[in-house]
Amino acid sequence: MTAVTDHVPEFAPYLDDPTYSPFWAAAERGRIALPACPVCGVFQWYPLPGRPCGHAGPLEWRDLPGTGTIFTFTRVERAFLPSGGAPPYTVVFVELDGAPGPRLVTVLVGEGSATPAIGDRVRLAPTRTATHTLPTFALAAGPDPAQGETR
Amino acid sequence: MTAEASVAIVGIGETEFVRRSDRSVGELAVEAVRAAIADAGLAPAQVDGIVSVYGEPAPDDITSSIGMLRRFTGTAGYVPGAAALSAAVTAKLAIDAGLADYVVVYMGYGSSRPGGPYTFHAKDPIKASYEMPFGFYGQPVYFAAWQQRYCHDYNVKPDELAGVSMAARKWARLTPGAQETRPLTLEDYLQSPMISTPLRKADCCLLTDGAAAYILTSAERARDLPNPPVLLSGYGLASMDTTMHNIFTQKADFLELGSRLSGPRAYACAGITVADIDVAMVYDCFSTSLVLQMEDLGLCPRGEGFAFANEGHTSPGGSLPVNTHGGHLSYAYLPGVVHIAEAVKQIRGVRGDAQVPDAEVALVSALGGNDHASLVLTKDR
Repeated sequence: MTAVTDHVPEFAPYLDDPTYSPFWAAAERGRIALPACPVCGVFQWYPLPGRPCGHAGPLEWRDLPGTGTIFTFTRVERAFLPSGGAPPYTVVFVELDGAPGPRLVTVLVGEGSATPAIGDRVRLAPTRTATHTLPTFALAAGPDPAQGETR
Repeated sequence: MTAEASVAIVGIGETEFVRRSDRSVGELAVEAVRAAIADAGLAPAQVDGIVSVYGEPAPDDITSSIGMLRRFTGTAGYVPGAAALSAAVTAKLAIDAGLADYVVVYMGYGSSRPGGPYTFHAKDPIKASYEMPFGFYGQPVYFAAWQQRYCHDYNVKPDELAGVSMAARKWARLTPGAQETRPLTLEDYLQSPMISTPLRKADCCLLTDGAAAYILTSAERARDLPNPPVLLSGYGLASMDTTMHNIFTQKADFLELGSRLSGPRAYACAGITVADIDVAMVYDCFSTSLVLQMEDLGLCPRGEGFAFANEGHTSPGGSLPVNTHGGHLSYAYLPGVVHIAEAVKQIRGVRGDAQVPDAEVALVSALGGNDHASLVLTKDR
């Protein structure tokens, strides 16, 4: 067991609204899932009241492999969250394998998380907090970070 | 010019710009509106139209405070930032339609108050569900993610961002009433605290309490008033197919802004080309947004905005003076509206040490999330 030293922000998501909860339920299962149109397969991220693809009916949340590529990032040195946050931490936008189009906003943890580069490969490395599981990511090249640890 | 301009700006008013004012935003707005009406050589009872940029402070509070009876009441309808400019188009439509003779556009804002300009985004349940738990919150963080990608795509080094905020500060130092006038050397820039890489504090706009207002009337009536009319010769409005939920993260063309559309629309409306622009006021909530818009607007080649500023082109004495009051970076953060006021002053020729010689055509352009607005203001010939 590795002690978790990464800081992650303190802000609990909405867990009880059906629009948002499947994402967090998947995170609890240690997976990453995004909603797609069951007819044409286009991923829709974030939710909208209608579907630009033109189809109707509920979206289907699809589990993804949990790997991807960094599209952009920023190392947050001064956080603006109402909770104060816990800077510094690195926010990354990840283009997920198996879900063309969406970019997932997440936090990079583990070795090298302070100095990533655009184009780096990453993989899901969840962080457990007191209230929820945060689907954080780690550099794919690094050693296995402390998955499932409590901060 | 393609068509005769139907309306002109005839009055401007600004309060002092400070952090943590002990006056209410309503009081500040009333002061700015009174000042704009006086600057136009009018009495409050003559002003029969009002357009609120933000909705708050409420237009009825303003008009009943100053003895003004509204015939036309409007709101800007675009996302804050662009709204102070789109409000001029709302006012023009009202004047053209005969719904009002003299219209005041006003903004009172208290961005230095608790919660700051960030709270607007905290009310968004999608941001609260999918972004805030990951610490992606606050405009400096949003624009930093854009800037990082820009630096990657155009091979710009973080230190090369410096020229934009240095130019703003040079202009602010020539401007009475500017909120931040301490010198900003390259060394100072590099010591400015990192907020969210690669953006430093110096790349971020000020936080300001204050108010500003401007008055429009028909070009014909404008010629009977004391100030030289500043004609609204062109205007362009545009929106992208994003939402305020996803604009910072999900745009297919990540660095695209509405300025790509609003600028050319405004130029066509005014019958000008970029080469005709003598001075430009461009919304600068961050160095990043200023450069992205300048490139969209054709003021400099794409990917070269920071080099353009570093070479001094936007600074005093440069080939294309930009934000000659110091912008939101150094003058005051009253989004867009102080840019209009500054363009009016330049065309009137009253800017003293910061006056751009023979300034006759001014571009004012501002970003508000998905929305964008550009105005071409010109000297009456």
